[in-house]
Amino acid sequence: MGSKKFIEMVMETLGLDEIKKSSKKKSVKTLIKKLNNKKDKIDEVLKVKSGKKKQKELQEEKEILLCQIKKGEAILKKLNL
Amino acid sequence: MLKRIFLPTILVILGYGFWISPDFKEIAAGVAVFLFGMLTLEEGFKAFSGGTLEKILKKSTDKLHKSISFGFVATAIMQSSSLVSVLTISFIGAGLIGLTQGIGIILGANIGTTTGAWLMAGFGLKVKISAYAMPMLAFGVILIFQKAKSLKGIGYILAGLGFLFLGIHYMKDGFEAFKATIDLASFAVDGFKGLMIFIGIGILATVVMQSSHATIVLILAALSVGQITYENALALTIGANIGTTITAVIGSLSSNIDGKRLAGAHFIFNVVTAVVAVIFINQIMDIVDIISDFIGISPQNHTLKLAVFDSFFKIMGVLMFIPFVNKLVNFLETTLKGKDKQEFESYDKAQYLNQSVLEIPSTAVAAIAREIKHLYSNAFEIITHALNLNRSSIASTIALEDVIKDRYSENHVDIDYFYTHRIKGIYGEIIDFASVAQSKMSKENIDDLYALKLASRDIVDAVKDTKHLQKNLIKYDKNSNIHIKEQYDSIRMGLAELLRNIDMASKMDEEEEIILLLSKMKIHMQRYDILSNGILDNLIRNNLITNEMATSLMNDSSYAYEISKHLVAMAEVIFIDSAGDIKNIGKEMFISDEDVDTILNKG
Repeated sequence: MGSKKFIEMVMETLGLDEIKKSSKKKSVKTLIKKLNNKKDKIDEVLKVKSGKKKQKELQEEKEILLCQIKKGEAILKKLNL
Repeated sequence: MLKRIFLPTILVILGYGFWISPDFKEIAAGVAVFLFGMLTLEEGFKAFSGGTLEKILKKSTDKLHKSISFGFVATAIMQSSSLVSVLTISFIGAGLIGLTQGIGIILGANIGTTTGAWLMAGFGLKVKISAYAMPMLAFGVILIFQKAKSLKGIGYILAGLGFLFLGIHYMKDGFEAFKATIDLASFAVDGFKGLMIFIGIGILATVVMQSSHATIVLILAALSVGQITYENALALTIGANIGTTITAVIGSLSSNIDGKRLAGAHFIFNVVTAVVAVIFINQIMDIVDIISDFIGISPQNHTLKLAVFDSFFKIMGVLMFIPFVNKLVNFLETTLKGKDKQEFESYDKAQYLNQSVLEIPSTAVAAIAREIKHLYSNAFEIITHALNLNRSSIASTIALEDVIKDRYSENHVDIDYFYTHRIKGIYGEIIDFASVAQSKMSKENIDDLYALKLASRDIVDAVKDTKHLQKNLIKYDKNSNIHIKEQYDSIRMGLAELLRNIDMASKMDEEEEIILLLSKMKIHMQRYDILSNGILDNLIRNNLITNEMATSLMNDSSYAYEISKHLVAMAEVIFIDSAGDIKNIGKEMFISDEDVDTILNKG
């Protein structure tokens, strides 16, 4: 067995190549959680009546967050394949 | 002159030594192998100094006790206080940590070096250490030849440890054989005179080998076979502790002022501790005897007693200095002064780019990122003033309608002058420095560097576009046509909002807030583009502005759009925490132009 193959086997056995992937997964999950929390906060503020301009601003922020959460979930799905 | 004769003298002495004694040859080879092992070990640890190191550094140096612990642990693991000192200087140079934290790390590193003496005295001299060296070398070298950076790093660490062990083995064997021919102990000198002579030898040996660790291992090897007396070994250890500061002083020569101050602190700390140790040497020896007796070390076991002395002497020094760290920082800041601020007034220069940060690729990247932030702060000043806005209003919570009314000056700002004096030089330095840094970098670091270079170019382009925009801003500012004035105020307000959002993003820690702000900037950029939002068409159709005004507005709207585009692209690179989650995920998380359109259509 060549040294390269030996190293590959060791890496596979120890799951070293998975470390990078799992670290990215963890980062996406953490970020999605933070974005969801932020969205929930906006939802709560939206329930309370405020000026039209403010409502529009918050609605736009919510749209951005929804778009970002969707993106994060897509990345996560790709990583889980 | 001294430099020129230093190396030949050392080579001649070594050559003569090899000629008269084969045992000396073995000892010298042992030292050489040991030092080579340290170099290899350093190489291995550098491979792991990516974002993880910065992450650990950030979390573990925010308080003095944490910095001391960090210095201790890092040195104990890496077995090299010199590497930790050089790394610390490099971190300070890159602006990653401050002087107080740096001093904390150095204090901890001093205690960390004592682990080497314990390993050597307790393990290295009793076990056939070379038996461990061979497999480490074999596995290490195989891994060094691998392409993967982490495997290469592990390979260097294994090989480094292997060489360290092999070096210790040669030194020990050499001294044992040496003893049969020459008894160095017969040259031992008693009393204060002996103490001073051996401190001098300790300093000299450490300066030559550039490692107090190697000197202490050599002292222990000589002591274990009775080639030097216990008292002389203590003096040599004190000397080694002074000699080691020379490495830090040399390392700091290419650093910024804080790096030089840190080397100064290291020097003061080690010399003062050594002086105290010399004054109270008898009392310290008594305390060492009591401690040794307490932990069960026999009075004749001089090697372990030397390890106790080494630990006691260094811990005593650290405890002695802790209450004075802030005073030491003040003293160094007043004694070692940076270049006068006035010198920078006419031409601003790079603040974070210095040779010391080039040693570690990740610190070089961090230093460049900091420098780009510096470049941006200058650009921020120029852009706001060119738009006739006040920086303080932008950074405040004042309504944007009021921000644009708060004018900076009645006279127009000379952007060319500002560009030449505050942007051009720094930008040039960043590009030059990045080219040098790139030669030592991995692909991952080069990608980061490329993104940073683009970010700095974005800043420069934004300033240049502002210059074009400024001409008509001045022209139409006092124009009697209210519609054109309104449009130019709208451009000013749009850019003011963008600058405010960037300013907020630069001060934020919460990643979800930063990502939200960056997305808002992109949407805002599109919304204020009057070419696509139909405002310009409306003004022309209703004859509200002249053809000349329309052309100017069209061109200037493009400039404003370009300025926004450049600044948003820059912000996406430089305001993302290098150790954060977004950096780990990459650009996939940012919203695209299609996403912007979708959100705008919903609104």
